[in-house]
Amino acid sequence: MLINNGFNEDKIQSPLRYIWSIFKSKSIAVVAMWVIVCLILISLFASWLVPHSPLLQDPDKMLLPPYWVDGGSIDHVLGTDDLGRDTLSRLFHGIQYTLGGALLITFFVSIIGMSIGAGAALTKGVKASILHHLLDALLAIPSLLSALILITFFGPSYVNCLLAIALSLLPQFIRASYLAIEQELNKQYIIALQLDGAAKTRLFRYGILPNILEPTTTILNRLFTMAIIEIATLGFLGFGAQLPQTELGSLIANNMELIYLSPWLVAFPGLAIFIIIIIVNVFAEGLRHAVIEGEE
Amino acid sequence: MSSLLKVSDLCKSFKQPFGFFGSKEKIAFGPVSFTLEKGETLAVVGESGSGKSALVRTIAGVLTANAGDIYIKGHSIRTLSSQKRCVSVRMIFQDPSSSLNPKMTIGKILNAPIELNTSLDAKQRYQRIIETLKLVGLLPDYLAFYPNMLSSMQKHQVAIARAMILNPDIILVDEILTTLDISLRFKIVNLLLKIQQTKGTSYIFVAHNMHLVKHMSDQIMVLHQGKIVEKGSSEEICDNPQHEQTKYLLLTHQPDYRK
Repeated sequence: MLINNGFNEDKIQSPLRYIWSIFKSKSIAVVAMWVIVCLILISLFASWLVPHSPLLQDPDKMLLPPYWVDGGSIDHVLGTDDLGRDTLSRLFHGIQYTLGGALLITFFVSIIGMSIGAGAALTKGVKASILHHLLDALLAIPSLLSALILITFFGPSYVNCLLAIALSLLPQFIRASYLAIEQELNKQYIIALQLDGAAKTRLFRYGILPNILEPTTTILNRLFTMAIIEIATLGFLGFGAQLPQTELGSLIANNMELIYLSPWLVAFPGLAIFIIIIIVNVFAEGLRHAVIEGEE
Repeated sequence: MSSLLKVSDLCKSFKQPFGFFGSKEKIAFGPVSFTLEKGETLAVVGESGSGKSALVRTIAGVLTANAGDIYIKGHSIRTLSSQKRCVSVRMIFQDPSSSLNPKMTIGKILNAPIELNTSLDAKQRYQRIIETLKLVGLLPDYLAFYPNMLSSMQKHQVAIARAMILNPDIILVDEILTTLDISLRFKIVNLLLKIQQTKGTSYIFVAHNMHLVKHMSDQIMVLHQGKIVEKGSSEEICDNPQHEQTKYLLLTHQPDYRK
């Protein structure tokens, strides 16, 4: 059987594979991806990776600086705090709380938000209006403020803080996914699939979902970044993780009065938050560009 | 015996916002009535904005009519299930590069209508797909391809295959010839005529080019501002146009005029 393809070695790549091959050529984004994998591994296995228990106090070694500064000890690579607790161990556990919490929020909010957004976009009439405009009023309130309001109802604790942030980020996500799906619905191949007699679920699964990758990466990235910032902020304000939980924001808050004695204690958690957000954005932006190039 | 397709007093109007709260009805076309017999080709011509695309989309089921009725083999379209409607009326969209899902292989695109509308099993479906590809002149190798890997001609062939795969009675063709250059246009026209000969399908054609329309169609219907201004057999209309609009349309395709 003849075919124009002179060498039959060229494989037919599926769009996802093609996007992946473009993504692999973007070295910064690939590095960012591996850093994210490392961070996730750290947050999963923090208890086994850390050299000391994050709560182990050592009265002989209080306020040690990192080991590369004079007076530091290799036992405590990033130094210790005012009760002699190891900073590195506390940082790893902090990443577990902050990054892990943000991942959980992103996972649940994206599933719930996407299904409500799809339900609003794919139905018509009163049902769509209710789904679509139900949470619109909440959009007027900044999400951090609505999280604060919710947490005053629930009472401050780490789980309640995750719940409040998830609820406060949900309206934005519903709105964004609704807009993405709504735009897609006007495309001709969706109309053609509808004329084939496809039901809504099939339409969503095969027609819409593969074609909204680009807006989805953007809104997921925004959701994740917002979640990290809000967990850290609520922790800093004392509404999130409670002692002895070592969330990154609460680490900064607890060590604020020591900032002149030992600035490291504030600098490391702050740097960790900063690096996580930068790395995730570099990764997501690389992915988004790969998706755009792959769709051309 | 009732005719294959009978459209009676079909009307469609869109609501447009007007003023602060009011809305204004803008009539797309209608009332329009005509009939189509098996194996016939009806061409719908008219200037842009005359409602031809809206008419075709209403018959296909993309838009719903405000008034009037469509009968297929004597049954009103309101009483037919969407499956039966799919099997008897299929549409080819204007631009195949936007009407084929870029994330699905040709095989899956062609599989979807059979899977949704018939009770064939996977093997019979594959057989049907191969037959249809042969009908439009494509090799089975193309089944694993994605639409962006095909040339515009091949995309048109796939779009025709998707319309033909359910062996429909009527195919609605929405200006597919305008985006093609002249040699490919003839290829597609010949392909469509060949399919009509072998399968006895009826076409409703939306077109601009009066020469091609004369070549292909048995009947011509001229629309102007949503109303039928002239209707009749092709020779009659091309040789002896009555209405001003028809004369204009014929005039724009006179070779001397275009110099």
